Amino acid sequence: MAGLCEGGNEPPGSLRAICKLLFDLLALFIERFMPFQSFMIYNGGAIVAMKGKKCVAIAADKRFGIQNQTLAFDFQKIFEMGPHLFIGLPGLATDTQTVHQRLKFRLNLYELNENRRIHPKTFASMVSNLLYEKRFGPYFVKPVIAGLDPKTFEPYVCNMDLIGSPNEPEDFVVGGTCSEQLYGMCEVLWKPDLEPDDLFETISQALVNAVDSDAISGWGAVVHVIEKDKITTRSIKTRMD
Amino acid sequence: MQGSAKCIVSLDNFNYFRAPITTGTSVLGITFDGGVAIAADILGSYGSLARFRDCPRVMKVNDNIILGAGGDYADFQYLKDVIEQKILEEECLDDGFSLKPRALHCWLTRVMYNRRSKLDPFWNNFIVGGMQDDEPFLGTVDKLGTAYLDRHIATGYGAYIALPLMREEAEKKPNMTEKDAHKLLVKCLQVLYYRDARSFPKFQLATLTRDGVRVEGPLNVEQNWEVAHLVRGYL
Amino acid sequence: MALDVASDYYNFSGPKTARFNPYSENGGSVVAIAGDDFALLASDTRLSADFSIYTREQSKLFRLSDTTVLGCTGCWCDTLTLTRILEARMQMYLHEHNKPMSTPAVAQMLATMLYYKRFFPYYVSNVLAGLDEEGKGCVYSYDPIGHCELSTYKARGSAGALLQPLLDNQIGFQNMENVTPEPIKMDRAMAILKDVFISAAERDIHTGDSILINIITKDGIKVEKFNLRRD
Repeated sequence: MAGLCEGGNEPPGSLRAICKLLFDLLALFIERFMPFQSFMIYNGGAIVAMKGKKCVAIAADKRFGIQNQTLAFDFQKIFEMGPHLFIGLPGLATDTQTVHQRLKFRLNLYELNENRRIHPKTFASMVSNLLYEKRFGPYFVKPVIAGLDPKTFEPYVCNMDLIGSPNEPEDFVVGGTCSEQLYGMCEVLWKPDLEPDDLFETISQALVNAVDSDAISGWGAVVHVIEKDKITTRSIKTRMD
Repeated sequence: MQGSAKCIVSLDNFNYFRAPITTGTSVLGITFDGGVAIAADILGSYGSLARFRDCPRVMKVNDNIILGAGGDYADFQYLKDVIEQKILEEECLDDGFSLKPRALHCWLTRVMYNRRSKLDPFWNNFIVGGMQDDEPFLGTVDKLGTAYLDRHIATGYGAYIALPLMREEAEKKPNMTEKDAHKLLVKCLQVLYYRDARSFPKFQLATLTRDGVRVEGPLNVEQNWEVAHLVRGYL
Repeated sequence: MALDVASDYYNFSGPKTARFNPYSENGGSVVAIAGDDFALLASDTRLSADFSIYTREQSKLFRLSDTTVLGCTGCWCDTLTLTRILEARMQMYLHEHNKPMSTPAVAQMLATMLYYKRFFPYYVSNVLAGLDEEGKGCVYSYDPIGHCELSTYKARGSAGALLQPLLDNQIGFQNMENVTPEPIKMDRAMAILKDVFISAAERDIHTGDSILINIITKDGIKVEKFNLRRD
């Protein structure tokens, strides 16, 4: 058993023995009652982002709940980080908000230093760095980033695990408690070079049908379609059960 | 079977389960045009110790079936006795019928499943080979009773190391001859000997064709340690 | 309570062996779609455990009668045992009643058989597809301890979560506007079936190699094979 003070039998009652016992008890408690996976499913939520033709879309559900108890239908999981840049932070709600605030701080600092808008790829590195700084006590969020290149307006999507390993595919990214369902939907519905309207329809159907088979996601959804000179934000009605 | 020692022992409120003691590593099986072949080395490992150097794990069941076993050697020996008794009783009937591979494979499935359901499994992987209705038969059963048939089967580390080699070769040569099959098995055993720390350079090779069963061995794995002199960084 | 557990943990001294696990997860996916006068049941043919592919050609469909087929995924050794007993009981029914068992009757029997092992369950996800007494397609799906539900389409197994929302959308017309739900036609069902398995093989490592489709109509059961990616 991994303890604080390995090797040799400590005399009972000694400070080292007590330390070891307390540490091991804590480790045991964490392992038994707070497995890391449980933080990712504590509040629930789902996010998906897709590339289209000269556009990109990101969508999330609106539920806020604690385990099986739904508490609100207007929880924000997607945040606007620039004119063509959005980040979705599914996972533990408190970390969603903390990570958003810390990212906003770093982004402001970057833009003041550089006096220009950030590239989505650079922003992804920033997120990755922030998360890896907490490698051994992570924030329980799996970020989804969607944006357009500030100069060329090339679409960009990216997602990460909770310690910041990035993945930048050519089609779509998903995150949250119903990521399996989202993968199934996206894999069938997504096609290359979708126009903004078709992309909206595709991402909405993917998200809504996926959250309907997850008990802790749904209760309304929001979709952002990002184009060169227009961002369309729509709220969509879903089943409320 | 009933009389054997109680296997789930309660010690300080902690139930521990019978674990394998003397073990054999991978078994390989392959079908070819008009027959099957099974090969395995003859080492009985005691943990990481290469303790028993002559443990034959491939057996002829009757003129129609060969059997290879990996995992706990004592469990294999016990089941070997049971199977041999079955064959003996059947021979005594002298009705001209003999056990067929599919039947033995099915029987083993039930035996293994029944023991896993008592949470006291026979800790083995079996490969059954034979000719059934003039077609090659190759099947496997593990300690849970998980069973399937395939043209190539490898257990233990063989599943990771030998099976890809066998599948690659089969893709190139769909209709293997007996000679091709032997060559492939020997090659696989050689790679396993180089890479599996619980393996051994002596092995047995059982072949079953329409002409009957041949169990050869112990044969030797051809070794070449020339490159060992080039290895740096471990001294 | 946490303290009790912990003190037992600390007082223990002796050999520690990992508890034997009588179950294994052998993967595979099953999809069933029923229409007005037919039922389709498809499974992939990959049998795997962890990161090993045991075999690429293991059907997970079991033909129980001329109008009933069962699809099983989960613990393969339990599947083998369950289907073996099921087949025996089909025979017993046939000989006792001099007629084959109807699909709803098999469905009820299967639920009973699963619940019989409530406290040491068969770790199997079952999907039973067939034609009922009126010749209408039906799909019954089960949890490992015998909960049974009748529906017209169902996806189960290692890629069940990926496939089910798509079926809800495309066959169940969920979240669709300006459409009138109608029973699915055979050719569309086949097309969807192949599509969903292709996507499942894309993302689920335990699904792949090929699919076997059983097409159940009043004229009997036809089998079709369709190749998937093998990596």
